[in-house]
Amino acid sequence: MSRPGLRPVTAIRLPARSVAALCVATVIGLVCFLWPFVLPPNRFGTSYTPPLMFGVLLLLVVAVVFAGIAEGGIDSKALAMLGVLSAVNAGLRPLGAGTAGIETELFVLVLAGRVFGPGFGFALGCTSLFASAIITGGVGPWMPYQMFGCALVGLFAGLLPRCRGRAEIALLMAYGAFAGYAYGFLLNLQFWPFAVDPGSSLSYHPGASFAQQWHRYLLFDGATSLGWDTGRAVTNLVVIGLVGPAMLATFRRAARRAAFEAPATFEPALSAAPVDRRGPAPG
Amino acid sequence: MRASLPSPDGRRVPRALHPLAWWFWALCLAVAADRTSNPLLLLLILAVLGFVLVRRRTTAPWARAFKYYLALALVVIVLRLAFRMVFGSGATPADHVLFRLPHIPMPSWYSGISLGGPVSLEALLSAAVDGLRLATLLCCIGAANALANPRRALRLLPGALYELGVAAVVSITVAPQLVESVQRVGRARRLRAGRAKGLRALRAIAIPVLEDAFERSLHLAAAMDSRGYGRTGRATGRSRRLTGALLLLGLLGLCAGAYGLLDGSAPRFLGVPAIGVGAACCVGGVVLGGRRVSRSHYRPDPWRLPEWLVAGCALAGVVLIYATTSYDAAGLTPSLYPLAFPPLPVLPTVAILLAATAAFTAPPPPQPSVRPRPQRVDGDPARTLTAATR
Repeated sequence: MSRPGLRPVTAIRLPARSVAALCVATVIGLVCFLWPFVLPPNRFGTSYTPPLMFGVLLLLVVAVVFAGIAEGGIDSKALAMLGVLSAVNAGLRPLGAGTAGIETELFVLVLAGRVFGPGFGFALGCTSLFASAIITGGVGPWMPYQMFGCALVGLFAGLLPRCRGRAEIALLMAYGAFAGYAYGFLLNLQFWPFAVDPGSSLSYHPGASFAQQWHRYLLFDGATSLGWDTGRAVTNLVVIGLVGPAMLATFRRAARRAAFEAPATFEPALSAAPVDRRGPAPG
Repeated sequence: MRASLPSPDGRRVPRALHPLAWWFWALCLAVAADRTSNPLLLLLILAVLGFVLVRRRTTAPWARAFKYYLALALVVIVLRLAFRMVFGSGATPADHVLFRLPHIPMPSWYSGISLGGPVSLEALLSAAVDGLRLATLLCCIGAANALANPRRALRLLPGALYELGVAAVVSITVAPQLVESVQRVGRARRLRAGRAKGLRALRAIAIPVLEDAFERSLHLAAAMDSRGYGRTGRATGRSRRLTGALLLLGLLGLCAGAYGLLDGSAPRFLGVPAIGVGAACCVGGVVLGGRRVSRSHYRPDPWRLPEWLVAGCALAGVVLIYATTSYDAAGLTPSLYPLAFPPLPVLPTVAILLAATAAFTAPPPPQPSVRPRPQRVDGDPARTLTAATR
């Protein structure tokens, strides 16, 4: 047997169908975020239609992918861990919002996705933002975007290349910092088209060319949220560097104890064999 | 029906309104706010939201969320004003210029972006009204969050998303226990004279709390297993394959639709029609996937006369507002040229006040009961789980 914890765990199996669905969904999801750059002008009558339509589309996509993953089977241990880790994340989120510049919502996702695999990372991204919205009363049109953004962070954390020791921590730190910026970049796109006054020169301008739009958005992003994103990236970097090794060990220990991939075999009962009086095995 | 009508002594039995009714009511008000840029009407909508909230909200934690939405709404308005002032794109000769910010010339790669310059009253007013509209939309969502019980709304999730709901319920239940766990670990640290503060204390607190959380999740999983979690309802192998195929087909349809929308030269049927077909497939798959779980409902939320009244009045208001847009567009979206005090059109006012009747038609919220909170950490996890969904 290999050294315990070295083998990557798959807490939530992704059958081939779910993998295909995830790939398609990632493409649609990114389109739902990035439409201001690529939507040709005069495609819709009003400027209010596209954000609404893409928002509904994203909600549907998140629901479908989660339904697909759940269809493949989330066993009770994985589900209980999803719930508990969502609670940890939901507890960490307001902690960060109160302290300027510290954004704590992503690092648990990164570590959990790394240990428990991409399927679990995706599901945890969905459930933790959903639970947090339910607990804090933050249900709104922004929720599918946050869920999908976090789900992507968890998914890609599960897909990082395999390496051990310090290299792994360095990799996760770098990924955490990158995820901090990327998450902010995508999430700002979601309210940019209507949050900024159309009369200002940083706002979304329907019909402008890709280069112009991109230029305006970069300036808007830099002016409003670069500080927050930097705070999030630095928080991820520092926290993963400080507690990452210990937390990874804790996660791996939990994964080993949960024995997610324990093979279940059914053997035909032999009539000649003595009756097993111990009853069915637990789990 | 009987429970919701006034009893002989004129007092009504308190009960929670169906969460969907509150969401429908608030979304109708949001649609109304979206149709107008008349600041008087927008303020009236805000007043209606406040009035209904004061009369019908509970003392539950989520009901306190509204003040954060109000703060966020203020931030939105201020941000809009600031952006318009600093990054404004100039003023027309007809504008009343209030003051001038120093104009900062931009290098060539900053083309199209202007910083500073004249700030006109018209520009500020339009930014403020636009901000007010967005703020009103936000407050509508906040009101729905504050009025509707999110835990009861969870059971309206389709069966295919059952696990999402369960995970949310687990985390709602576990969150207070985690707080208790953090306090316990902190107490133990103090007893051992652990005085490290800040980042260095992080590891000493985070790891035991996490271990605790995982321990709890394994207990919970065992409890769920022993109570029959994972039973596969009425789904057969064939219906599962059909579900998977529908979901994947739906996603592919959505993908094709998105491509058709974004590529101007794509054939017309690839746009909205493909999205429609894809969405239909997805919904079908989700509905069919719901067969996998069979749920029973403990104390289902009824939909009775008050729900009809709340939702119906809000819908009537929206219909009235849509009816006015055709002949009284100036009342709904007053022009800033020339500057004048906005009028208060009669029909939209009546429409918004119609939605305010929810303050009377909805039953009074239930009084806070003094039910003991499930707080024993090592109690039966599944029992606290079912307690949380009540």
